[in-house]
Amino acid sequence: MNVYLLQVVNGVGVGMLYFLLAVGLSIIFGLLRFVNFAHGAFYLLGAYFCYQAVAWGLNFWLALLLVPLVVALLAWLAERTLLRRVYDRPHEFHILITVGVALVLQEVVILIWGPLGDNVATPAALQGVVMWGGFIYPKYRLFVIAFTAVFALLLWWLLEGTRLGSAVRAGSESAEMVSLLGINVFRVFGLVFALGAGTAALAGALAAPIRGVDPFMGLEALGVAFVIVVVGGMGSFSGALVGGLLIGIVQSVMSTLWPEGARLMIYVAMAAVLLLRPHGLLGRG
Amino acid sequence: MATLAAAAPASLSLRSALAQSAGETIQFGCPVPMSGAFAANGKYADLGMKLAIEQYGKALGKPLAYTLLDTEAKPATAVRKLQELVQQKNARYFAGGILSSEALAMAKEAQKNNALFITTAGADEITGADCNKSTFRWSVPTFGAIERTVRPLIEQMPKAKRWYTITPQYVFGDGLLNAAKNIFKEKGIEHVGNSYHSLAEKEFSGYLTNAMAAKPDVLLLLNFGSQSSDALRQAVSFGMKQNTTILMAWASGLEQFESLGADLCEGVYFGAQYWHGIDSPGNKDLVQRTQQTFKFNPNYSLAGSYICTKIFIDAIIKAGSDDPAKVIPVLEGMKFTGLTGDEEIRPEDHQVLKNYYLLKGKAKSAMKDKDDYADILSFGKSFLPVAQTGCKL
Repeated sequence: MNVYLLQVVNGVGVGMLYFLLAVGLSIIFGLLRFVNFAHGAFYLLGAYFCYQAVAWGLNFWLALLLVPLVVALLAWLAERTLLRRVYDRPHEFHILITVGVALVLQEVVILIWGPLGDNVATPAALQGVVMWGGFIYPKYRLFVIAFTAVFALLLWWLLEGTRLGSAVRAGSESAEMVSLLGINVFRVFGLVFALGAGTAALAGALAAPIRGVDPFMGLEALGVAFVIVVVGGMGSFSGALVGGLLIGIVQSVMSTLWPEGARLMIYVAMAAVLLLRPHGLLGRG
Repeated sequence: MATLAAAAPASLSLRSALAQSAGETIQFGCPVPMSGAFAANGKYADLGMKLAIEQYGKALGKPLAYTLLDTEAKPATAVRKLQELVQQKNARYFAGGILSSEALAMAKEAQKNNALFITTAGADEITGADCNKSTFRWSVPTFGAIERTVRPLIEQMPKAKRWYTITPQYVFGDGLLNAAKNIFKEKGIEHVGNSYHSLAEKEFSGYLTNAMAAKPDVLLLLNFGSQSSDALRQAVSFGMKQNTTILMAWASGLEQFESLGADLCEGVYFGAQYWHGIDSPGNKDLVQRTQQTFKFNPNYSLAGSYICTKIFIDAIIKAGSDDPAKVIPVLEGMKFTGLTGDEEIRPEDHQVLKNYYLLKGKAKSAMKDKDDYADILSFGKSFLPVAQTGCKL
């Protein structure tokens, strides 16, 4: 099979994880107008909690369910006690406080698990590869694509088809108006923040068997997440999906065309989008 | 502030007065990354120097002491901290520099400050084009790492004719790649492709897709540290272990095996500067000392820092002086019981001539203890002749 076709398929695999990584950041910004530099740290926690769960002999599937919930709860607590206090301040305050939270979490991870990275075994059922003609692809990565696709649909339904979703979307237009209608906007804010952090943790847990865990994976993930959010459009769900897939495919295809520039091309793609559409591909003006 | 400023020159002159007296401490510096992605290496390097300094305690009747310097893996920070330690404590002996970039910068700075520097970093230039009178290197540079891994593997598997390489694009990676290409040419090996990647890369699936499309017999990983771990982990998940032999030419030793786990490493070949299982008097001594003090086996970062510090201390004792100008001639050509057997410092380029090892990861069930991840298949000394290193001291 054509190597470029393989790279596109692989790019979709990479891109779906990127989507999951970025979507929470995007939703949080969309509703709260809050720049969350701690997003990478929630991804980091997700990966390490998954590692710990598997090390304790817990079922990977159970971990996949529990880890995002635990991280979401932690994020919800952080939002209630800390972040809520700076919502009405300028963005610099958001950045300052979330970078602080991110650094604290990273150092806590080093304190508990040490500075060395570690491996997370792929669940037994998904070990091995799928072969189809010249096409070879790890089963686990196929699972990640399918799982993320289903999750994306659920998330979309949650945001578009439920009462909570309407409150979220209305809140992102005008928080004051929504609270005048008798909806507790702060409660919605807290839930959305927890949801965003939970998706980051889910991305971390899913990525752990692919790339292992190390204490610095959060920072690196944060960079990619911001690129995707900027490409797709701040605050846009479908933007995160399109941005994630685009960046994944660009990176993957470029590793055949111009390998040494594959990483660079992510940022070139972002710059190009910014020049042509300053609000991102699907962002609102 | 005024009193502080006034006190500073006085204490400086006091220090230089102390420098003349016999009771003065011989100061060492351990400039290694203690924060950032290479902090783990720095942590073990610190323990290695501590072990050596405490083992001797004194040299020439003067107490030995060292200061840990966090280079943050940045050349500029490394240089600044080295300068500061020279000025503040009159330190003249530095053993450290995990990354080639920081090591190259510190090598230059050490020479300017009349200090000696010894490193385990990999770039050929350290004892090549950028060599200098004050700089020494314990680890085997890229040429030997390839000679002692690629060549024996080709001989062991004469039917494996198609090799694919994955290379980080900077001096270190290119050094390994060029050495490998020369052997491919000589042995009639078909180099079916190479993927360069940036130093920031974490996602290797694209390069592996490329590699698999080329249907290689051997996948040769030329990257280092966490990048080589990521590349290996992902290659295994793509099922490459089934029909491809994987060789990681520059593994970082025990700490890498620990983070990858035995299942991933089984059947994979690794090149290594050091392994705690080496059968040599020098290594047995180190393993025993490390076990006694820290209750674990030495890894490469610890061992490298230990032996580098020990080399300096031994030379100071032999020279009967801690004046770097008198220690350099002793170091040049010095033969000693190293960790890999008998080692010596080549006078023309200040490169330590030592063994490099080819390891093979073994199955979890075959491991005799928790650190017994690999068997040593072969080892030996391979170095470019001085004339070809580009070094002129």
